[in-house]
Amino acid sequence: MKYRLLAVLAAISLIVAACGSGDDDTTTTAAAGGGDDGGGTAAEVIDIDFWVAFSDEARLGFAEDRAAEFNTKHPEYNVKVTSFASYNDAFDAAVLAVDSGEPPGLIHFFEAATRQALDAVDEAGNPIFKSVTEAIGGRSEILGEPVVLDDVVSAARNYYTVDGSFYSMPWNTSSTVMFNNMDMLNAAGITEPPATWADVEAACEALAALPDGPSGCITWPNHSWFVEQSMGQVGELLANADNGRTGRATEAYLESDGMLEYLNWWKSLSDAGYYTYTGLQRDWDGTSNAYIAGEVAMLIYSSSDTTFFDENTDFTNVASFMPRNGDVPYVGNLIGGATIWMLDGMDSATEDGALAFMNFFSNPENAAAWHQLTGYIPITQAAVDLLESQGWYEESPNSKVASDQLAAAANTPASLGALLGNFVGIRDIITIAIEDILVNDLDVATRMATANEEANKSLTEYEQLFGN
Amino acid sequence: MLIIGLVVAAILGVAYVQWRTENPSLPRFGMASAAAVAGAAVTPIAMGQCGFAAEATGVDNLLAYGLMAAGAWLALIAVHALFDRADGRVKEESQMTGEIRTGGYRMGWWVPWVLLSPTLIILVVFLYYPAIRTFTLSTQLTRLGAPKSVEVCFGNFSELLITDPVKLVAYPLIALAAIYGAKLWFTRSAPGTLSRKGADVASVVAMLSVFVALYAMFSPGGGGQVAYRPVYINTVIISVGIVALGMMGGLAIAYLAFRNLRGGGVYRTLLIWPYAISPAVAGVLFFMIFDPTAGIFTHAMESWFGIDVPNYREHAALAMAAIILASAWKILGYNILFYLAGLQTVPLEQIEAAVIDGASAWQRFKTIVLPAVSPITFFLLVTNLTYAFFEVYATIDFMTKGAPAGRTSVAIYEIIRVGVNTGDLGRGAAQSVLLFIAVIGVTLWQFRTSGSRVTYGGA
Repeated sequence: MKYRLLAVLAAISLIVAACGSGDDDTTTTAAAGGGDDGGGTAAEVIDIDFWVAFSDEARLGFAEDRAAEFNTKHPEYNVKVTSFASYNDAFDAAVLAVDSGEPPGLIHFFEAATRQALDAVDEAGNPIFKSVTEAIGGRSEILGEPVVLDDVVSAARNYYTVDGSFYSMPWNTSSTVMFNNMDMLNAAGITEPPATWADVEAACEALAALPDGPSGCITWPNHSWFVEQSMGQVGELLANADNGRTGRATEAYLESDGMLEYLNWWKSLSDAGYYTYTGLQRDWDGTSNAYIAGEVAMLIYSSSDTTFFDENTDFTNVASFMPRNGDVPYVGNLIGGATIWMLDGMDSATEDGALAFMNFFSNPENAAAWHQLTGYIPITQAAVDLLESQGWYEESPNSKVASDQLAAAANTPASLGALLGNFVGIRDIITIAIEDILVNDLDVATRMATANEEANKSLTEYEQLFGN
Repeated sequence: MLIIGLVVAAILGVAYVQWRTENPSLPRFGMASAAAVAGAAVTPIAMGQCGFAAEATGVDNLLAYGLMAAGAWLALIAVHALFDRADGRVKEESQMTGEIRTGGYRMGWWVPWVLLSPTLIILVVFLYYPAIRTFTLSTQLTRLGAPKSVEVCFGNFSELLITDPVKLVAYPLIALAAIYGAKLWFTRSAPGTLSRKGADVASVVAMLSVFVALYAMFSPGGGGQVAYRPVYINTVIISVGIVALGMMGGLAIAYLAFRNLRGGGVYRTLLIWPYAISPAVAGVLFFMIFDPTAGIFTHAMESWFGIDVPNYREHAALAMAAIILASAWKILGYNILFYLAGLQTVPLEQIEAAVIDGASAWQRFKTIVLPAVSPITFFLLVTNLTYAFFEVYATIDFMTKGAPAGRTSVAIYEIIRVGVNTGDLGRGAAQSVLLFIAVIGVTLWQFRTSGSRVTYGGA
């Protein structure tokens, strides 16, 4: 009997404690909110969730700092940055959050899944995202923040414009460039960074002839993005309907002449021992380490790490255009990276806050700082002008290569890059096929025919699920 | 087609009662037939009879019949338990409920349910519902955020298998025949004869024939089929490798560390540490050791001995060996822990007697220690296999990402790659179901074979 009473008492005290702590929490939040916006009442602060697919301190920190600045400048808003491990994680979480009625306001999502983002719908069948252009509706400033969307450099604008509408706000945007260890190349008698495939081969031959040359010559990640870049360079489409830009892509072109020529060249470099394969797909770290360690003289990579290579190499590091097939007229390289998508269904005050934040986030000062921090291209012309006036490009010439390369590209469907459904899966199909070709010494045409079959199946299934 | 299946199920019900139960009678024939028909009808009704639709292939029919058979069999097992209870025959007296049953529950039938409800709710929400959802997803073509999904019936399964339904039936039947043949031979041969030796060999061959039959049943790819055969091979090699190396290494080290050494406690504690590390960290550690560019091992071999170590990720055998090594190392601490505990139960007087009788160290180990720790071995076999099946994803993702060209992509890695990374939920779910069936199969097989050889001591 005594124990039963004790048990009841214990249970009651637990319940009381739980309720009590709940009350405490509410009070603390209200107090903190009041403190943040400098005296305004807590109820007026509008929360805007911004889901970022970066988790490294530099890039996530940049987003957090800008959000904090924005919150200070606009105390009626509270932009909250949440970090996700990958674009897919953030996207899946957003789709689920929409269905459960707690969506974020803004989400950071990558270029390859543009088709998927446009096609994504909630349980009622409404599109999840809203076009940023449409939401801005021709205004030149929102809540005092000048609109910078119109000033976005054309390569990015063209990539993300689908059916005539510029849907999402570009953030991290890069292109492929080649980093050259000029100390090694000079030692082999090469004075200029190789510009064409033939130049690369010649440089590799010269390096191999050196008694103390590097163990490899060139490397780049086995990532489908580099394949897509090479198809843009020679003007070859990856899929029908103009790369999925004038309609929905239903057929893949993974066994085109341009593709076979490129992969045969890649394989020949590998067979000759010039191309170093790290043995992993999408191996950004391994290839970058091989270059920094001096195991290769050339690295084809994303311009996003230009600043990193400038700071972390103890040799003369020179960036140049991605090498191209010299026998074919050059068409153009494309962008890569990610944009910020705005979710549909916010009330107008929240939406204006989200739009103001996006434009603040990419205002000339912020866009220039982002470029200097990483090597992603300055996303607006105003940011380019600002950097020029500061003399940044004289100080850091490698930083200009990606922008110049994109400016030199023609505006064709091939050089804009493809918009495909299931693109992430199709990219996997491409990189697995290439690994198979490189490691198991397979015939390029036969293996790519299989890959094309798989990609077609993937596109067909995507249309079954998302097509009209 | 469905009717044929149901008629067969009804006959099966009668046959089951006649041959497998103790008191066959007319009402029981009827009950069993009805139960078998109901059990067989569950899946075709749930799936809208799609396995027998006009466009269904032979393999689809086969899978539909297979599910009907499984449903009927489960129903018959339930009916059998019911008959046993009616006859007042309870197979195993449960030790935990023995006392309570006599007294009944004093406060009403609902009290135990109320007390159980927190556990039941958690099980339903986090286990049963997701499991059922996986089964429904596995029959669909679907993606997150898609406006619609397409019912594909058994499509996600049949694309992993060969397309010839006759072979698909024949191979497992041959393997089953081999097993029963070997069993028959074993029971008919006298111990110690040449015939018994032959039967021993035959039972090993029969066991291997199961692996071969499964190998032959999975599709090698091509013609719109998914190349699942390589995934099967990888899974078998890597899982067997991890379990064998992890358990043998665990027992060997535990046996050495069990002796009275100075500072033995510290030593034994340190040995268990790898278990505290997550599979992802194990992957990173071994990556740092063997990486061709940044690896410590590679660097040491090159600078000290001038040996150029090949990139393990470009050779299937090396890549598999690296994965097995990293995963076995990670589970080693766990195995050592249990074997250290198990070794304490080895009867010392028996070992002393064996020493006096002049048994060598190896003989003592083989005839006294090994049987004494057999319950631990059996337990570890189950847990290690579960580990090898489910927890190697992170290790593989860090070390090879399935390289070279998918030769280290095991079932769980493939499930996550297909279902999560490329967002193909239906196919991922179908492969999960396959792995689920595989784990059930392997566990049942372990209980039937090793279970009978385990000695739990006692009087």
